[in-house]
Amino acid sequence: MVLLILLLVLAAAVIGTPLADRALGRHAGWLFAGVLLALAGVVLALAPSVLADGHTPGFTLPWMPQIGVGLSLRMDGVGWLFTLLITGVGGLIMAYSTRYFPPGRRLGFYLLMTLFAFAMTGLVLADDVVLLYVFWELTTITSFYLIGLSGPGADRPAVRTFLITALGGLALLTAVVLMVLRVGTTRLSEILADPVWSQDPAFATTIALLVAAAAFTKSAQFPFHYWLPDAMAASTPVSAYLHAAAMVKAGIYLLMRFTPAFSDLAVWNAALITVGLITAVVGAVFALQQHDLKLLAAYSTVSQLGLLVAVIGVGKEAALIAATVHTLAHALFKSALFMVVGVIDHQAETRDLRELGGLARRMPVSAGVTALAALSMAGVPPLLGFVTKENIFKGLLEAPGPMWVGPSAATAAVLASVFTFAYSFRFAYGTFWGTPRGSTDVHEAGPGFLAGPAVAGVAGLVLGPAVPVLNRLGERGAADTTGTYYPAGLSLWHGFSVDLFMSLAAIGFGALLIRWTASGERMAGRTLFPVNGPTVFEFLHEGLVGLGRRVGDLTRSDSPTRHLVMPVLVLTAMAGVAAGAGIEVPDQYGGTTHPLDWPLVVLATVAVVGAVMTGSRMACLVMVGVAGFTTALWLFLLGAYDVALTQLVVEILTVVVAALVLRRLPRRFHRAPRSRTVLTALIAAAAGVSAALGTYFLTGRRDISGPGQYFLDHSEEDTGGTNVVNTILVDYRALDTLGELIVLGVSGLIIIAVLNSSGLLPSHGSRWVVVSRRSAAYDADDNTLIMRAISHVLLPLIVVWSVYLTVRGHTDVGGGFVGGLVAGAGFALVYLAAPSASVARIKLAYPKIIGAGILVALSSGVLGYVDGSFVKPLHTGVSLPWGGSFHLTTALIFEAGVYLAVVGVVLTALNQLGLEESRPGDSTLGLMAPTPDQPPTNAPEEGSGDHPEDPLGTVPNGGTR
Amino acid sequence: MTLALTIGVLVFGAVFLMLQRGLVRIILGFVMLGHAVNLMLMSAGGVFRRAQPLIGYNPADVVSDPLPQAFVLTAIVIAFSITVYMLTLAATGSDDDTEDLS
Repeated sequence: MVLLILLLVLAAAVIGTPLADRALGRHAGWLFAGVLLALAGVVLALAPSVLADGHTPGFTLPWMPQIGVGLSLRMDGVGWLFTLLITGVGGLIMAYSTRYFPPGRRLGFYLLMTLFAFAMTGLVLADDVVLLYVFWELTTITSFYLIGLSGPGADRPAVRTFLITALGGLALLTAVVLMVLRVGTTRLSEILADPVWSQDPAFATTIALLVAAAAFTKSAQFPFHYWLPDAMAASTPVSAYLHAAAMVKAGIYLLMRFTPAFSDLAVWNAALITVGLITAVVGAVFALQQHDLKLLAAYSTVSQLGLLVAVIGVGKEAALIAATVHTLAHALFKSALFMVVGVIDHQAETRDLRELGGLARRMPVSAGVTALAALSMAGVPPLLGFVTKENIFKGLLEAPGPMWVGPSAATAAVLASVFTFAYSFRFAYGTFWGTPRGSTDVHEAGPGFLAGPAVAGVAGLVLGPAVPVLNRLGERGAADTTGTYYPAGLSLWHGFSVDLFMSLAAIGFGALLIRWTASGERMAGRTLFPVNGPTVFEFLHEGLVGLGRRVGDLTRSDSPTRHLVMPVLVLTAMAGVAAGAGIEVPDQYGGTTHPLDWPLVVLATVAVVGAVMTGSRMACLVMVGVAGFTTALWLFLLGAYDVALTQLVVEILTVVVAALVLRRLPRRFHRAPRSRTVLTALIAAAAGVSAALGTYFLTGRRDISGPGQYFLDHSEEDTGGTNVVNTILVDYRALDTLGELIVLGVSGLIIIAVLNSSGLLPSHGSRWVVVSRRSAAYDADDNTLIMRAISHVLLPLIVVWSVYLTVRGHTDVGGGFVGGLVAGAGFALVYLAAPSASVARIKLAYPKIIGAGILVALSSGVLGYVDGSFVKPLHTGVSLPWGGSFHLTTALIFEAGVYLAVVGVVLTALNQLGLEESRPGDSTLGLMAPTPDQPPTNAPEEGSGDHPEDPLGTVPNGGTR
Repeated sequence: MTLALTIGVLVFGAVFLMLQRGLVRIILGFVMLGHAVNLMLMSAGGVFRRAQPLIGYNPADVVSDPLPQAFVLTAIVIAFSITVYMLTLAATGSDDDTEDLS
């Protein structure tokens, strides 16, 4: 429970930042410092219970119970240590931030810092691997923003840091998924205790490498080490917190956390020790080379993290005790040094060692704090760093493997420490002693500014002689990671031992190195490697982006053909592979061929051959129409009367609408080279054969489907309807149908919108009919007399019939779709019979009809709530006065909506595409543009400025009228 | 087998038209592909039972599967609206040419 409160307090701090920032500006840091230090106090108060008595507080709350993920928290010794560091160091840095920044509001900074503290605490307390991963990524994201927030030059470093650490995050995610799948739980403690690690070395090795990769990127291990100096673009409090004490320690935490599973794995030991020691030495050498104090501190962090990784890699009790206490020591001296860098930068307005020197007299407190921290870092007695580093040497001597491994590892660590001693000296001496350089007008910083570094620095001094108080911590840390209690026996002096001589060697050779290199001056700024990290990263990054662009170029084309051909080819290839591999299929079920089918095959072939061969647009349209009628006939033969009727009417309307469009286009298709025709014909033939074979072998080889049978058996009982297809549409699948209805309506509105923004092409009407002036057919009025006379009678009949079809749809052939289409066909007839487009215009507000249809369908859906859920039809039988009964259902209202929407869309198509000519903005106005036989005087209200017939209610852009 | 043949022939015509230059032929190919796909959906229901699924009209063991029919019915209407929309696009701009640059 106390763990949950910890996290909740931090979450509350995050949420409270805007308020605190508004009220206090940069002083909000005091508030957060208070919160974090209070939490650190709580953590310290837990010490007797966790460290001495070996209790492990835990907490679990279901989060995603379906997949077994819980908000599980657990605090063992390792978790205790890291929580203390995050809250304690975080508190010091928050206090420091109030002086570091100029007065003013710092919302982004405090929000992200508190969010980071929250994420980091969650990370080290999580006892669920999914939760652990989420917090892990949250630290990456907050780090990205905190670096990027720091100034104009910080965006690339932020991106580079983010990509590298996110890459490690992906490795962790992979490990998490694999572990959960294998072990079957997301509880971290259960996963680590699982016997799988010793039983399946291959699996253990895979996970070990993934976890190590995640930790290496996060903790800046070679060859990913360069991101940490790169991230120094961030402001100093961010660097001190994220890049010294907390975030980079997440990798260390992860390695310690997984030590129980992997400590006996040779590949784990080898990878950690090798990479860690390489990083330790390389980082230390680079650190000595820096002029910039902050970069020096950053490389020093890299080096120290390398030592920690290496000693964790040993996997023995003594080594993990050393890792535990050195983590604490490093957090103290490194955060102090980073904060001092900020102080120096602030007071002397530079942090370049070439411009600094002799500041001790003017900044005595800063000099003292720096000296304490640097001595601890250098491993000089009696500071804490001395004890912990000596323990690292001792731990490395126990490195597993052949005899030579331990001594070599320890020697490498000593080598790194030689450089550590030298750069620690360079840091402190170069700044505060040595020759005074640069500005002389430098003053000591205020107490608020120095409090943070001072506390951290003095803690290192106090804990040196008092190091036995850390025994419990070290023992618990070792017990958590190795499983056995082992007396830590930490003390400043424990006789003449090997590790004491190693410490002395590090100090002695370090002093010599300082002498040889003039405290690093002679080495500084020299290029040791031909390339540096950021350059390599940018090279790889650009290469990757370029590769992606080149792959994308394959499909980046304006030609629809190139897009359309891809799926066809892929599907055909898949069919070819399937045919080659051979698939076992059951026998045909029942007779599939009737004698009547054959004429339809012939008809379809004729239609297709005609459509393919012709160069005339109109002929092609007619041939495709024939194919459509063939399809309708097929549907009749298959017993789908509703569908066949729909297909028939749709085909009529498609031909009518297409004919309206074709008037505006050239009579013949574009010419294509013969090679293209042959190639497309070959592709088409392959696709056709695949489709035919696929249909033949993969369909119709079983009895009626289960759902189909269910609908046949139950539709009357469930819905009262006997037309099963219709009941599926309006009762069982009404929500689907509603969605389709909306798509239909939207397409109608899109047509209006498209024509509103770009006008139709002019029609080539005069070209189509060539008749003599004397012929009765010449005059449009005379010519259409019979059609008009018939349509006057027919239209009402058609409308009545369409309504009848709609109403009876539930029990017999019919339905809203068919009804609407039939009514639309009636309007098409009137339209075709009219002598001119303006007379033909059906003056109905068709967008409103579409809208009304959708609204009616929706409202019938809402009625369904009366009986439980959306679009659930209500139905009841009503006795008719003349006997019998009529089945009343809200599905009928739904059908009415369908009917209206379909009619609206058909009317839209006829009216919009039937215009003689149009310009942008004209299309919805119901007005004709002036043409020879339509003088502008016929058009009512032209130019009056309001548009009473504008069916969308939109006023078109001015200027066109 | 006859249905499979019809589908094969229609797919041939559809793919051929869709790969030509000019939006109108692409649209007509699309319409034809719609026919082929709808028939394919119908064939999934099995073509050995060919009576219409009206309860009371036909014996239950010969009526066809109603589920593909319901799918196809809405598919036809949606395809119609999309066809009309594409025809609108073909009739705007300067031409229905899809390969101006080639």
